Amino acid sequence: MSARLPRLARSFSSSAARNLATPVAQKPVLNKEFKIYRWNPDEPATKPTLQSYTIDLNQTGPMILDALIKIKNEVDPTLTFRRSCREGICGSCAMNIDGQNTLACLCRIDRSGKDTKIYPLPHMYVVKDLVPDLTLFYKQYKSIKPYLQNPNPPEDGKEFLQSPEDRKKLDGMYECILCACCSTSCPSYWWNQDEYLGPATLMQAYRWIADSRDSQTAERKEVLQNEMSLYRCHTIFNCSRTCPKGLNPALAIAKIKMELAAD
Amino acid sequence: MSHSGLQKEVLSLYRRALRIPRSKPEASRSKWNLMLRYTFRTQAARAHPGAFSTIEYLLRAGRRQIDMFEHPSVKDCHVSAEMQSWQTEHKNTSRSQT
Repeated sequence: MSARLPRLARSFSSSAARNLATPVAQKPVLNKEFKIYRWNPDEPATKPTLQSYTIDLNQTGPMILDALIKIKNEVDPTLTFRRSCREGICGSCAMNIDGQNTLACLCRIDRSGKDTKIYPLPHMYVVKDLVPDLTLFYKQYKSIKPYLQNPNPPEDGKEFLQSPEDRKKLDGMYECILCACCSTSCPSYWWNQDEYLGPATLMQAYRWIADSRDSQTAERKEVLQNEMSLYRCHTIFNCSRTCPKGLNPALAIAKIKMELAAD
Repeated sequence: MSHSGLQKEVLSLYRRALRIPRSKPEASRSKWNLMLRYTFRTQAARAHPGAFSTIEYLLRAGRRQIDMFEHPSVKDCHVSAEMQSWQTEHKNTSRSQT
């Protein structure tokens, strides 16, 4: 064995496969078809189409986002989508993949050989290709005042203290990255977008209602106490099923309903 | 002449656009006027009168743009060479058309 050691050491060097004396087995070609929704705002009169791209999965990363980036880099630079962190923390690459709203960076490519269809988030105005217009979504988020409201500064002048139990109440809500997957999967939100706040916003509303440091709880509840903002939720549970972060907006909405009923 | 709902929306968008220059500084008003007229006319020419979904899209895009233009912190705008040549072309016809 000792005689072979130098050769082992050599195998760590990064010579290209074609320079090696014995050729390294190339990975077989595994082609897969992606059908992607295309619509160009520069030609508003043309109807949106599904454009199909075939790429070799063995030359691609494991996630849908890798495939999209590969298509954009190598096949069609006009393909448009949002992406940033590529690790499921920014929420930019939310889209509808094979009928399910999810983050492209957290969704593995299905290697079974069937084609994959990719659409923008459903029932949102499309800016271009896979980019939805989230203006209303952000406006709704702004409307619930997603920040700490407490006119009395803490006694020590430094920070608001919170018991571990109170802090635990925020778990499962503060992790939300506002990717809009849940809101755009909700049929109630589809039909009443202008008035119903939607699961993502409502979960954040409850995140601030449940916060022990916030003193405006009554006002926050008062805003939701009407027919549309909250009660358009008919416990369809699409939100909890689709959430790419594994959160449960339906539970938060149920808790708001309970607290409003108890008032 | 009575207008359809969509036509009214387009007209009210144009009206909103034409009111913008009044809230801008004196010096830039004529630039605003030309820019808004040019943008509206060229965008409107892109859609066929019967292509409702196209018109609705252009309306949404236009509203978004006007929301931004109306903001008080926006004071000036740029007038391109195309806009100026468009203006000289349409100086005589624009009045008689409307």
